Amino acid sequence: MIELHHIWKQYQPPRWALSDVTFHVKRGDFYFITGPSGSGKTTLLKMILREIIPTQGQIIVDGKNVVRIHDHKIYKLRRTIGSVFQDFRLLFHKKVFENVAIVLRVIGVSRKEIRRRVFNALRIVNLHHKMWEYPSQLSYGEQQRLAIARAVVNNPKILLADEPTGNLDPELAFEIITLFKEINKQGATVIICTHDRDLIRHFGEKILFLYKGKLIRKEAL
Amino acid sequence: MIIQKLKYFLKETLRNLWQYRIRNFFSITIICLSFLIFGVFLSLSNNLHYTAQQLSKSMMIIFFLEKNLPEDQRSLVEEKLKGSSLIETFQFISPEQALEEFQNNFPELRRIIENLRVNPFPSSFEATITEENISSSETLTFIQEMKEMKGVEDIQFNRDWVEKMQSLSRLAQAVGFFLGGILVLASFFIISSVIKLNVFARKEEIVILRFVGATNTFIRIPFLMEGTILGILGGLVSLLLIFFLIKFFPLYLGASLGVFNELINFRYLSLSQIIMLIAIGAFIGFSGSLSSLARFLKV
Repeated sequence: MIELHHIWKQYQPPRWALSDVTFHVKRGDFYFITGPSGSGKTTLLKMILREIIPTQGQIIVDGKNVVRIHDHKIYKLRRTIGSVFQDFRLLFHKKVFENVAIVLRVIGVSRKEIRRRVFNALRIVNLHHKMWEYPSQLSYGEQQRLAIARAVVNNPKILLADEPTGNLDPELAFEIITLFKEINKQGATVIICTHDRDLIRHFGEKILFLYKGKLIRKEAL
Repeated sequence: MIIQKLKYFLKETLRNLWQYRIRNFFSITIICLSFLIFGVFLSLSNNLHYTAQQLSKSMMIIFFLEKNLPEDQRSLVEEKLKGSSLIETFQFISPEQALEEFQNNFPELRRIIENLRVNPFPSSFEATITEENISSSETLTFIQEMKEMKGVEDIQFNRDWVEKMQSLSRLAQAVGFFLGGILVLASFFIISSVIKLNVFARKEEIVILRFVGATNTFIRIPFLMEGTILGILGGLVSLLLIFFLIKFFPLYLGASLGVFNELINFRYLSLSQIIMLIAIGAFIGFSGSLSSLARFLKV
């Protein structure tokens, strides 16, 4: 599903953000990428999303070489990937419903279908009763769940999450990862970047350890 | 599906226009003032052109004939007028008709004429020429030819006023286009800058749209609609101001216009000019947005 072949990334010489990273993620896998701050976790996710391009190496997502995708075609890749960011990236001037619906609007889904799918996605994260509120009226954990609802509403093949529990208390963090597990059971390939060891211990099956841009360990528990 | 998307874009556009209403208000004001100057000159040109037209309609060339001109000589003059493509209409005025007309027009001078005991008026031909030929060189040549013709004593043709009006009309139009052109160009850059600011203000939203798979077009359309609406609104407000200006300016001038009050008829812009102004507004709004998006929204 996702293949990274000898990925190198340099933002500013002489330091390499990623050095010769190679790994494969199969369809339906649930992966944790972990490592200390600055180890290259976020860079890796950004590359899969084609937000940044590697200095060297190939990234294959669902059979397509991401590096070679033309700028005008990136939207096709991104429609197959759901992403959750540490800072949530919500539209605070739009209501909860609209924050999720925007994903479907950009692909031209009908109004009726948008209502149905948004409601379902919000029900998964238990936010359907707050559909007509603004994100600013939600708690931190609810905002995180809203970001997850937005990421899954389009039934993406891949779900990427960058520190999705970074600002949450342990109980809420467990709740969120359980949610990701549920989504994974429905067929989505999930990659979560985190440095929360408790979560990895509890949920981790397949783990990638990054240190100073190098993949130092691939572990299947 | 398309209607649904259009509804979404329109909703977004209106929301954005409202969200940055102060900034947008200033840009509409500047576009409006630019168009106002352009429109005022256009209207002035219309009025001068109209006045010139009115003058030319009542403009005649009078060919005074020699006294006691034999019938065959008069026929020759008549044939010459009939054969000219420049002459629209003409009629023969006998000395008796001329006298009668004079007495009707100036009754207070009737006694002076009566005291003369003879009819001082010569016979003449009164001709009108087509408007487009008033200033043509062919007309001048024709008049020269007629002057040299046997039996024609004198020719009266006062086209100075018409020519002055026409050249003033052209001058007003040229000044309007020049000043308007500069100001419209300024409007283009203003819209471009306003949209640029709006793009910056919504940078985060654009980033999110990119991540959820929005196409460049999907992101750009609300901005383009915003620029176009700003341009159209600027044009419409300027048309409204021109309307009030034309309605109330003559009242302000009042009696100071004097004899010109009859002559000058303050007229609004024609339908095609109104459509042109709105279309220019829409175009500069659209292209202003497009230029700023091309540079600042590389998706």
